[in-house]
Amino acid sequence: MFRSTEKYWKSVLESQEKIEKYAADVRQIDRRIGAFIEFDPHRALPAPAEGNPLNGIPVAVKDNIAVEGFRLSCGSKMLSEVASPYTATAVQKLQEAGVWIVGKTNLDEFGMGSSTDNSALQRTHNPWDTSRVAGGSSGGSAAAVAAGLVPAALGSDTGGSIRQPASFCGMYGLKPTYGSISRFGLVAYASSLEGIGIISDSLSLTRSLFETMRAEDRHDQTSLLLQGESTPVRTIGVLSHPEGLSPAVDRAYRRTIDELKNLGYTIKEVELPTLDYVIPAYYTIASAEASANLARYAGVRYGHQNSLAEDPQELMETSRDQGFGAEVKLRILLGTYVLRSGFQEQYYIRAQKIRTALRRDFEEVFQSVDALLSPTFPVQAFPHDSSDLDQFQQKLADRFTATANLAGIPALAFPVGFEEGLPAGMQLMAPMHGEERLFEVCQKYQEVCTPIHPDRAASRPHAKEERSTP
Amino acid sequence: MNSLGTEYTKEYTTFIGLEIHIQLLTATKVFCDCAVGFGDEPNTHICPICLGYPGVLPALNESALFQAYQVATALKCELSPATVFERKNYFYPDMPKNYQISQYQHPIGINGTIEFPYRNEVRSIRIHDVHLEEDAGKMIHAGDISLIDYNRAGTPLLEIVTEPDLTSGDETEAFIHYFRRFVRYLEVCDGNMEEGSLRCDANISLNEPGRGLGTKVEVKNLNSSRFVRLALNHERERQAKLLAEGSSIQQETRLWNENRDITVVMRRKEESHDYRYFPEPDLPPFRPTPDYLKTVESSLEELPLSRMNRFRGEYGLEDDAVAFLTEEKSRADFFETTAAIYAEEIKSDETRGMEIYRWLSGDVLRHLNRSHTSLENSNLTPRRLAGLISLINSGRIHGKIAKKILHGVFEEDKDPEQLLEEKGLEQITDPERVREMVQRVISEDPAAAAQAAAGEEKVLGYFMGLIMKLSGGRVDPRISRDILQEEILKEKEKE
Repeated sequence: MFRSTEKYWKSVLESQEKIEKYAADVRQIDRRIGAFIEFDPHRALPAPAEGNPLNGIPVAVKDNIAVEGFRLSCGSKMLSEVASPYTATAVQKLQEAGVWIVGKTNLDEFGMGSSTDNSALQRTHNPWDTSRVAGGSSGGSAAAVAAGLVPAALGSDTGGSIRQPASFCGMYGLKPTYGSISRFGLVAYASSLEGIGIISDSLSLTRSLFETMRAEDRHDQTSLLLQGESTPVRTIGVLSHPEGLSPAVDRAYRRTIDELKNLGYTIKEVELPTLDYVIPAYYTIASAEASANLARYAGVRYGHQNSLAEDPQELMETSRDQGFGAEVKLRILLGTYVLRSGFQEQYYIRAQKIRTALRRDFEEVFQSVDALLSPTFPVQAFPHDSSDLDQFQQKLADRFTATANLAGIPALAFPVGFEEGLPAGMQLMAPMHGEERLFEVCQKYQEVCTPIHPDRAASRPHAKEERSTP
Repeated sequence: MNSLGTEYTKEYTTFIGLEIHIQLLTATKVFCDCAVGFGDEPNTHICPICLGYPGVLPALNESALFQAYQVATALKCELSPATVFERKNYFYPDMPKNYQISQYQHPIGINGTIEFPYRNEVRSIRIHDVHLEEDAGKMIHAGDISLIDYNRAGTPLLEIVTEPDLTSGDETEAFIHYFRRFVRYLEVCDGNMEEGSLRCDANISLNEPGRGLGTKVEVKNLNSSRFVRLALNHERERQAKLLAEGSSIQQETRLWNENRDITVVMRRKEESHDYRYFPEPDLPPFRPTPDYLKTVESSLEELPLSRMNRFRGEYGLEDDAVAFLTEEKSRADFFETTAAIYAEEIKSDETRGMEIYRWLSGDVLRHLNRSHTSLENSNLTPRRLAGLISLINSGRIHGKIAKKILHGVFEEDKDPEQLLEEKGLEQITDPERVREMVQRVISEDPAAAAQAAAGEEKVLGYFMGLIMKLSGGRVDPRISRDILQEEILKEKEKE
């Protein structure tokens, strides 16, 4: 069984020849996957960062995170031609540590979706079954990692956009505590819910990327550097009756609980009374914030511009009409609706109250358990254009992941093996700044299961070369 | 105002409120590191943040926040325990994000008051709220094209909303004059209405006395305090006439047309915006600590009205002098420092307020105007002015020489004492020296001396002129006149 090693990844930069070989392999394999919107290993070659373990590690970046000189399309026609004039703080921190940014990955338009099929630019396929989606919205990042094109990729998670595709592709996916990584340079969809995170096939790499990126940033006044207390995890909470799971996910969930029990953890059933209200609250807040966040895309200074418009008003209206996809328009309209004066009490303010109640739920839960286990998503990777889950059902299915975003707490999706030939993933949640607890449990769980890559011999760009090395 | 208007308006009570925007005096914009600069090349003070590029975030400028607290405190506002920024949503091409970061439910301060002098009384105006926000860019229409300059986008703006406590255009103009002085004293705004660093919109309603507020009309495009007065007086008349005719007032926004001297409709109420305010998720609420508020409090300068009252009492000055001296904080400071130096170092019990005022409003002002400099940037310091006045009062120079020395201070950047010595300008008060000169001019013109002796008063003036000329203007005029009269008397006795 092949496991990508740090040693291998760092060796790619040793010679021009190896870089070219790597680039050719990625391009060839990605023709089948569609993970990258833009791939250029030469554009941001890292400066040597002596002694830094991340030096030379290639990382892909979701195309809603700014990297100077690369595109910043957000998977939208609106921004498809835009190149970023600056670099996100999180990426800058990685580059200072010598990380090698190799390209930008596909996503649902502005991060709105659970399949990456909402990208206006291209389709991304699940490396385990290319008839299926890689999940979303960070589907390109998850697929790039699962296909072995990079050992890690940055994503963003507003309601599960890192964890769900990570689980669909059998990888780790970390959504850190809100504010622990600067959002400066992350194109805003729902500012109070989202953050930058990591998808990787390696737990230790996930952790060191997180440690490198976390910081208080003067460009993001919601960022905060706080070290959580390192309580060893003994008790893991589980949901007493998680509803709506597919039989396969239900089986995987019960199996994982048993495995954790066998590893010595105490399992305790807990209730999250507000769980049923998570989705309405989440979509109300996310859409409200999105309606303002996406107002700036109006064809005036950058992005798609209707060149036939005859006055500024028409320019803004028609550029937006032409530049945005249907799902984006739906959420802007929804957000505009819930923020109307006279209706805020009924929608936006009520959603904020649910959010407060959910936070209290979590505080109470974490009095009796050290971490909380739940499924990542009720189903496994679904087929493209699936009739199994329409857009509305996809939204309902976000309830396990979106809870962590509403509460601002960290969550880590991890692979628990396979059901019906597809990866299955669960997620662990911890109190604010409790990332260490998540790493600790997942580290131990590696005795049971570690991530693997599909069809290794065929899809590993470097497998042949690696094997032929004496 | 014509007589027709007066006839109508006297039947009604007028309520005028203002929304004043001031650009705060910070080095950088309110949410990014770009410099604030008026009149520079378009689009030279811009960055991804103030242009609203994808992915950028605002970071609040601490200095703007501090100045906002200074104003709210000086206006005696109740300060919010946690002040919250909100997004005000509307589309406009010169607004980079198509929402403005402003404040709504929890502004920095509410329920304040400001007092100002108007026609020999002190008027008190209630302040509804004080909130901090960002300015937009500027759109310029040039023929078929529209151009946008984003230099102004992100400039810190403080909005001060008054209750409708003003009652006429004239009073409102006086209020704006005072308010301009108020913010300049606080050193938070340069108060320049022409350049737009102080802007104001007004609302006005009329009603029969005792019946509360009427239907409100907003008036915009008031680019000077004069336009404020003209527009509000016009609007007051227009509404009074409508009411007198039995018509009702439309709630609407009107624009002042400075070419036609009238207000015209801009938009009706039904077209008004729903701004969909909601808390700005990118900026955490600010909770001022007691220490912070103490620092704000102790940073505040004495306000103009208080200073005016004090000048009247402490220096015994008349209204004109007080108005002149308190017009600018720098001038009032200069005046007080001069008075203090005079009193302390010259060891006099008198502050000589009136003398200092006369110099400042006379020769000093004339010199500054001629040379286009400000008092602060000139070579005159309070110490030098105090020195000059003390030279006069100790009898070492007289008024004309003092003017010469003042000129020397401005031109040569020297102390009055030094100029006095260098130029040998010290007054000649020794009676023997004066007598020599008097005798000399008399002996040189016996005919005139005879006329003088015959009692022709104006010939005395002629001799005084000759004496001044001979002494280079240095003789003490009082002494020389006395001696001249003595000598003429001697001439008469000779006859």
